[in-house]
Amino acid sequence: MITLGDYLIVSGLLFTIGFAGVMLRRNIIIIFMCLELMLNAANLSLVAFSRFRVDAGLPNYNAQVFVFFIITVAAAEVAVGLAIIVALFRARQTTHVEDIASLKF
Amino acid sequence: MYIELLKLASPETVVVVTALVVLALGLANERTAGLCSGVAAAGLLFAVAAVLMLPQQATLFHGMLVITPLTSLFKIICLVLAFFTVILARADLSSRNRGEYLALVLLATIGLMLLVGSEELLMIFIGLELTGLSLYVMAGFDKTDVRSAEAGLKYFLFGSTASAFTLFGISFIYGMTGTTALAAIGQKLTTAPVQPLLFVGIVMTLIGFAFKIAAAPFHLWAPDTYQGAPVPSAAFIASGSKVASFVVLGKIVLVGFGPAQGSAAWHAMVAGWAPVLAALAALSILIGNLVALAQTNVRRLLAYSAVAHAGYTLLGLVAGGREGFSATLFYTTVYAFTLVGAFGVVALVRRETGGDDLKNFSGLSSRSPLLAGCMSIFMLSLAGLPPLAGFFGKFYLFSAALRAVDNNGLLWLVAIALFGSLISLYYYLMVLKVIFVDEKSSSTTQPLNPSTSADFLQEISLTVLAAVVLFLGVMPGTLVARIIAAVQ
Repeated sequence: MITLGDYLIVSGLLFTIGFAGVMLRRNIIIIFMCLELMLNAANLSLVAFSRFRVDAGLPNYNAQVFVFFIITVAAAEVAVGLAIIVALFRARQTTHVEDIASLKF
Repeated sequence: MYIELLKLASPETVVVVTALVVLALGLANERTAGLCSGVAAAGLLFAVAAVLMLPQQATLFHGMLVITPLTSLFKIICLVLAFFTVILARADLSSRNRGEYLALVLLATIGLMLLVGSEELLMIFIGLELTGLSLYVMAGFDKTDVRSAEAGLKYFLFGSTASAFTLFGISFIYGMTGTTALAAIGQKLTTAPVQPLLFVGIVMTLIGFAFKIAAAPFHLWAPDTYQGAPVPSAAFIASGSKVASFVVLGKIVLVGFGPAQGSAAWHAMVAGWAPVLAALAALSILIGNLVALAQTNVRRLLAYSAVAHAGYTLLGLVAGGREGFSATLFYTTVYAFTLVGAFGVVALVRRETGGDDLKNFSGLSSRSPLLAGCMSIFMLSLAGLPPLAGFFGKFYLFSAALRAVDNNGLLWLVAIALFGSLISLYYYLMVLKVIFVDEKSSSTTQPLNPSTSADFLQEISLTVLAAVVLFLGVMPGTLVARIIAAVQ
């Protein structure tokens, strides 16, 4: 039997992996993928909480609606993010964060 | 039901329609740049009128759309800030793609209005993302400047990480309370003890918002974005986005997490969100002010001072209660108007001299006494000197913080804030010294656009902003009374 705790552990792991990737990796595309991983960790925990919170025999569907919104927003975020990355690539011919440091004091 | 929704959301609807019209106009003809600005400005004013027509109190869909005097007031403030941004954009950007840029400003404004006017975590998240996504594009909008794309990317990466944190926090809050409406969360917290998992959720949500308001140690995007982004974008990020974030952060912590406040008093710390915010505030004030001392670029200097100001503003939330929240709201409003003005001056100086380093400002007082005068009002208000609005804002914040906890428990935080204000005086006066005392150096770079003289409309708007800052300093009661009446 899979319990709520198991889902939360997986979701926490996904979030940690995503955040570690954002902090440690140097390729913007990979950082970008790790960001999506963090969002999906939140999706997983929302769905799990929703499924295990049963009111009158039915799961509490609020969070599942929330998840649909998050998926849509994540798609919009991909569009904007990739556009910015392409704009930067045209100017710099690189996708490595170390090469993008013209702004510092 | 839907008729009512359309009626209550009429200001947002007006802005959406304006955004679409501006976008279509911009796409249809490259030469309609002036018309686009006019339509955008008219739409924003029309939306202000629509806000004024709203009923006093209304709630739709369990708090997804809430109308109170407070939300109406701050919707108007957001619209006015967007209006000034549109005027700023008129002069700053070349006429290419003007329509798209203005449409993005309007979309971001809708996001701000949704943020201000909602007491539901789902709606707050959507508002945050709508604002964020528009602002990321606005930050990277100038394709001729590599630094603009870089600013956009940095803002995007930090902003999305922040929203992932907020989202993960929200998922735990939902899981522990079973609801996403702030009022219901507050009720649940009063009856049940705060579980550790819920505390994790609260802290993660706060971390996400700390990114948005650029509080240290989550401020790293701010200097690069403020410096690299086109000036109107930077101005809007620093003003509108910040005002709305503080309003919604205040609502979340005071309405939603109210019972889990804890205490940040020196000898009587109690776990809760207040100590977390107090730590963020203290760090922001110290880091922001100390690093700002070393800056040579005015926009970077404004960014670090923004970090410090986020710290001061958090003081009101740490104090909590009606008085603390009103102080926070007053201060963030004053700060937003001051910063839009300061960025307006930076935009004009940049157009005249081709840069926004401190040395570009040398001799400004002889070149343009009006700009120099406006800039000195803005800088002195930021420094918190009487009789300008910044002074009263700080005074109100600090006194609210002192009175909130027994035995002057928050004295340590107020002492740090006073110390920070003292440091900040140095770098604000440094800017003024360059403007008024230094001779214009001959080595400044070539003007970007030597043919255009200073924009008349923009000078008027700067004068208006400076007058507002002065007026709110002399008669703060006009706005404070409204805010206090609006905060229940």
